[in-house]
Amino acid sequence: MTAAWRLLLGAGIVFFVLLIGLPFWWVVTGSFKVPQEIIARTPTFIPRSFTLQHYDLLLSASAYGTYLLNSLLVAAASTLLTLLLAVPAAYAFFRIEFRGRATLYRLILLAYAFPSIVVLVPLFATFARLGLVDTRLALVLVNTAFALPFAIWMLRAFFAQIPPEIEEAARLDGGPPLVVLWRILLPLIAPGLGAVAIFAFVSAWTEYVFASVLILTDALRTLPVGFAGIIGQYQVNWGLLLAGATLAILPVVALFALIGRWFVTGLTEGAVK
Amino acid sequence: MTPRLSRLIAAAAMVLPAPVLAQEAVEVTLWHMEQPPHRVARIQELIDEFNAANPDVVVRQEPQNWGEIYAKAPAAIAAGAGPDMLFAIPDFTPILKDLGALTSVEDFVSELDARHDFVDSAVEAYSYDGGVWAVPLYNMTMHLWYRPSVLEEAGVAVPTTWEEWRAAAEALTADGQFGMGLPANRHLYTDQTVYSVMLNGGAAEIYEEDGSLRFDNPETVAAYEFYQSMMPFSPPDAPSWTWGEAEACFASRSCAMILQFTVISTYETQAEGDPADLGVAPIPVREAGQEPGTIAYANAVMLLSPEDSPEREASERFIAFLLEPENYGRFLNMEPGLFMPVTADGAEAESFWSDPVVQEYRSQIEQVIANSENGKLFGFTSGRVFPAIAAISAQNVLAETLQDVVVNGRPPAEAVARGQARMEELSQ
Repeated sequence: MTAAWRLLLGAGIVFFVLLIGLPFWWVVTGSFKVPQEIIARTPTFIPRSFTLQHYDLLLSASAYGTYLLNSLLVAAASTLLTLLLAVPAAYAFFRIEFRGRATLYRLILLAYAFPSIVVLVPLFATFARLGLVDTRLALVLVNTAFALPFAIWMLRAFFAQIPPEIEEAARLDGGPPLVVLWRILLPLIAPGLGAVAIFAFVSAWTEYVFASVLILTDALRTLPVGFAGIIGQYQVNWGLLLAGATLAILPVVALFALIGRWFVTGLTEGAVK
Repeated sequence: MTPRLSRLIAAAAMVLPAPVLAQEAVEVTLWHMEQPPHRVARIQELIDEFNAANPDVVVRQEPQNWGEIYAKAPAAIAAGAGPDMLFAIPDFTPILKDLGALTSVEDFVSELDARHDFVDSAVEAYSYDGGVWAVPLYNMTMHLWYRPSVLEEAGVAVPTTWEEWRAAAEALTADGQFGMGLPANRHLYTDQTVYSVMLNGGAAEIYEEDGSLRFDNPETVAAYEFYQSMMPFSPPDAPSWTWGEAEACFASRSCAMILQFTVISTYETQAEGDPADLGVAPIPVREAGQEPGTIAYANAVMLLSPEDSPEREASERFIAFLLEPENYGRFLNMEPGLFMPVTADGAEAESFWSDPVVQEYRSQIEQVIANSENGKLFGFTSGRVFPAIAAISAQNVLAETLQDVVVNGRPPAEAVARGQARMEELSQ
């Protein structure tokens, strides 16, 4: 690579880092500024003031902590359920021969053909009959239902990339299908599981429409809905908004820190000798 | 009953705590859209007082969001999970009325009117089709906010006519400051600012007496032309504004003037907070001599429990409690300077005027109340309400028409004609 290319590449990387990083910088540093500095006519890139008043107000005078906990519970449960259902479903689509397999595999993506708002009212009525309105379980079920088709598609693609020799070898050693799936195949598709987990978690973490309608009581609200109410409508408390946004980023950042590395792990590195 | 059974029951009565045997309290749920924590806390304070004074009733609040309530309330009511009381604005009520979820509260409103004397326009906004469909609670009206020192420095007087307003905005647009912050977003805020200009240009009526639309008329076109002529003096991001951005623009001194319900809270907490340098005036009129008016949202509460049910009776008691002068001021001051009284005794209540922020900004609040005398809301001006106004309002057609002018560059006359066609389409 020539020096000119290296320079160009470096400039490109810096550009994208700034493009993605600057809004985060703005939000995080803004949450520590005094109100006057946040809305100052000339914005300050490096804060000139420091205060924890927005965090103090957010955590002491609002139910932000409750919303955060609800979001964590709902997102974690949705992620777990999505993985529990997507793994066997994707394995079945990959391994089991049955009539209509290819058609069904394509059809599951139809779930994304309809805007969620279209199913909102019928879903509310159904959940009301089942006694699920105003429960976290309702959100877990909805989030899972919407994450599942993509999760199945993704995991099936990961299964398909596993060299068949690995599974055959395990079978020849007498491993039953479930043991082969659990002990041999799942470790090999760990990057896929990580990607699906991140997708399911972030989808559930940011879901607004269903959470805003299916939950009636304040104590069960998730973060996006509860937070929208905290910051106000006619009067916006910008400090509160920035502090809440900063705290809301943290769980997602933590999740990426924990399992993001799976993305870069070699899929079948060293598996076949 | 055998003597043994009688003894057992008597023994149980002695052992069990009294509340178990007493009649259970009636539980009623209030849904409102005042979600910021300090407003929820103030409402809870009043609920706690009411519950303590009325042991046979338990009121619970569940704050909701304006953004979702139009979809959520009908779904919840249809599923039998709706509240007993629900806050409303005039164009929300017809939706629930058409679903059959409301019964008239005319008798209850008359009773409260005799006791507190409602502002007539507040009741009128909910009076149609032979009934009164909600109990007025508070008023919100829009005004021209400015800093006297900024106008003085530029040698500009507070504008009272459109011509003066445009000249002032032009003179004040200098040195990084914009003369007049006006939104052009397809949003309720823009509906409100556009209608405030229309109202002061003689285009208050959207409907003819027979219910046909009269949006497309020379006065409306003139209002849009004027609004368009003001946009060069507004910040370039104004086409995406909601209320918060406008207030931030004013608080940061980037906008010399804005149209807003109130800026007191933000000015006090996020700007310099000097009451002597905060001005509020009526929205300028098209020609001198006209009476200025403003858009007015009479917020109210709808009662959803069946008539003659214990829940209905409990809800009425709670609302009557809120409107008592000793409580009403504290209720309104959950956001000082934003919510104005809709009763005569409320406007004089010690509980309203004794709030520290209200005391500090008393002259501004008195001006706001004076400006509110000629308050109107589009679609609710002729004494008859046509249900299609709910769809027209929900689709922000007034703002959409402005976007057609400001963003798409369509001539105002053409855009207004298209706006009327859109309203007709939504009315079908």
